[in-house]
Amino acid sequence: MSGQKPHPSPSGEGPGVGQSKTVSHSPTPTPPLKGRGYSKHWPLWVVLVLIALALVLPALLPWTYDQIDWDAVRAPAFSGSHIFGTDEIGRDRLARLAAGTRVTLMVAIAAALVSLVVGIAWGATAGWVGGKVDEAMMRFVDALYALPFMFIVILLMVIFGRSILLVFVGIGLVEWLTMARVVRGQVMALKERPFILAAEAAGTPPLTIILKHVLPNIAGVALAYLMLTVPQVVMVESFLSFLGLGVQEPLTSLGILVKEGADDMDMTPLGLLLPGGLLVLLLVCLTIEGERLRDIYS
Amino acid sequence: MSLYEIRDMAIQIDGKRLVEGVNISVEAGKCTAIIGASGSGKSLSCLTPFGLTPGEALGSIKLDGIELIGADAHQMHKARSRLTGFVFQQPLTALTPHLTIGAQLQEAAAQAGPSRLSRHELVQKLERVGLSRADERLDQFPHRLSGGERQRVMIAAAIAHRPKLLIADEPTSALDASLRGEIMALLDELRAEQGLAMLLVSHDLASVEGHSDDLIVMDQGRVVESGSTADIIANPQEDYTKRLMAATPRLTEPAPDLPAVGNMLMETEAVTVIFPRPGWRRGKIEAVVDASLTLSEGEAVAIVGGSGSGKSTLGRAIAGIGPLTSGTINWQGEVLPERRARSLAMRRLIQPVFQDPVASLDPQWRVSDIVAEPLKNLRPDLLRADRDGMVEKALDDVGLGAEYLERVPTSLSGGQAQRVAIARAIIAGPQLLVLDEATSALDPLVGSSILQLLAQLQRANGLTIIFITHDIASARRLCHRIVVLDEGRIVEMGDMAAVIEHPNADTTKRLIAAS
Repeated sequence: MSGQKPHPSPSGEGPGVGQSKTVSHSPTPTPPLKGRGYSKHWPLWVVLVLIALALVLPALLPWTYDQIDWDAVRAPAFSGSHIFGTDEIGRDRLARLAAGTRVTLMVAIAAALVSLVVGIAWGATAGWVGGKVDEAMMRFVDALYALPFMFIVILLMVIFGRSILLVFVGIGLVEWLTMARVVRGQVMALKERPFILAAEAAGTPPLTIILKHVLPNIAGVALAYLMLTVPQVVMVESFLSFLGLGVQEPLTSLGILVKEGADDMDMTPLGLLLPGGLLVLLLVCLTIEGERLRDIYS
Repeated sequence: MSLYEIRDMAIQIDGKRLVEGVNISVEAGKCTAIIGASGSGKSLSCLTPFGLTPGEALGSIKLDGIELIGADAHQMHKARSRLTGFVFQQPLTALTPHLTIGAQLQEAAAQAGPSRLSRHELVQKLERVGLSRADERLDQFPHRLSGGERQRVMIAAAIAHRPKLLIADEPTSALDASLRGEIMALLDELRAEQGLAMLLVSHDLASVEGHSDDLIVMDQGRVVESGSTADIIANPQEDYTKRLMAATPRLTEPAPDLPAVGNMLMETEAVTVIFPRPGWRRGKIEAVVDASLTLSEGEAVAIVGGSGSGKSTLGRAIAGIGPLTSGTINWQGEVLPERRARSLAMRRLIQPVFQDPVASLDPQWRVSDIVAEPLKNLRPDLLRADRDGMVEKALDDVGLGAEYLERVPTSLSGGQAQRVAIARAIIAGPQLLVLDEATSALDPLVGSSILQLLAQLQRANGLTIIFITHDIASARRLCHRIVVLDEGRIVEMGDMAAVIEHPNADTTKRLIAAS
């Protein structure tokens, strides 16, 4: 409870004479991203360029992802209009890559957004109300964590048949759990902060406090975890597709492309290397950027 | 010649000069203190010569005959590890969490040479710094120790290798008021016993008085005044030093002229706050027990106590922003219910101001919205235009101009942020302000200007004030009466002057000694 100013530690930075006019304050809020060079955020740019390509390419290419070129089955790269060649039944590889990336990212972003909404609602309620309610809500989260997720998804698929909706449900079922835990922790820490108490003393109703004071201040952390959820969902979706439980043919995703490539890799290694490499590049870039955001906010 | 001598030192970081023209000399067995506000460069001047900041020192720095400027890595290492010991402000973070106390001491002692100390010697070192049950402590981890105990361990570690110079960077600032005196006394004792030279950094004049031989006053990277401590305090030459002296509250200064007190306003009867113990263990923490006190119109009452005494919890229970387990709070005959049950009309009566001014403002909001927040809820009858006018007036009342309306909290200094917090507290016209350590986190000059502002508001608006603090001297500038809390119970209560003159409870005596 005593006054603690920011202070140099033996290993830390010294006090800047110029800067310390403003009392700096460490926890959660608002360190802006601006003022950093674009080059530092190259992973973000890589992702954005890939997304742009995935959106634009299908319109530019002469082939669609499910169109079969009977004259060029298993064509090598740079043969005619097929820049990366064709697969074992003559579909243009580049077109399929673009379509697969689109589907994968769409599933990932949608599932991440679902996890964001559910996670924030659940976590913020538990953290704000506290006590027995919090206890019950978080034990429920723990219980879901403990379920063998893959087993459940496979069961769902077997019972209800394959559909992209079930992929969403399955992924959404687990991905909001981490978000709920993170948000709950943040809300609990914020709840006792003086500015929240001051808002209470100012007569601000609880719901308004949550919407106007709490949520804006956890937005940064939530965004960071959202960024980290996307690559996780990409992984899960690709894994399900690889097992043959994800998206239905002829619609494709990166996971399906990797599987097809792996089946045919002794004939045309390009079929595995291209989607595999793309998947790795996406995952690495998203994770780097997400972890960077998380480090800034927490 | 002095043991440690700095001549004409300048410090720059990234080519920017932050400190200039500093001369310090410390003799063996003597203590030199550096005081100044935060950002005055006092810590920088102490730590940079040893390479502990990103800054680069220029000039001449001699420690025990070794020139540190331009010294090679070996000499620098020797100067830092063998000749010097360091005590830092934060005892909680300065000890490595995964090492036992014994291991920390062993590591510190290893700087002197490779020979390991026996367990008996380690025990002796802990006993020397006044730690009880030293043998048991050796195997404990830092989190088992209290703040004061950790600071004692830090001191034991700092002198374990028998350095010649001890650098103490705000060694008592993070500690409970009643502990500060003990730690300073221990440092004095060790200095005399081992012939240590000590360089003491503080932001607070009162805490170095009586403990240092020489004094250096710094402001904005420059030395304002230096000389013997007694001389400077008795007869300050420079304007800045004079202001600093005037800003430091003392118990010896003449009693302030306080406004008259009116009728009974509020009365608490047997207020008790009990928290469930966190974690798996069953049990309860009694934060406040049977606190009964009265408050009259226009009166200022100080609630003082060490940390963990329950003073903030009591204040929050009264202000309706903390739990209340049992007991009643009567407001002119009407009972104020617990926290969430309070109506808007009741909220309007009492407003809080907190210790950490920056944390008490939402970092995402603009100043104009922050100050207007109570009005929106507590005075829904007002039109927007009236509200804007009142916000400007409230800011004006706390000495801030209209140019602050669009600012965000992160661009405010501590003093400005506290003024904004006070503006928010007074805008809806409350009758009682609960000030929870409102000046403790601020530099002395800023803190005293906030105290002045409060005294002014007290007079102009007929405000009643509950002033929660650990510092009796600053409470005395504002308050008529004093309530002393210890472990959740009221141990002493009475007229400010009378209690200071004849304290009965031990807690009161200790707090007075620390002021």
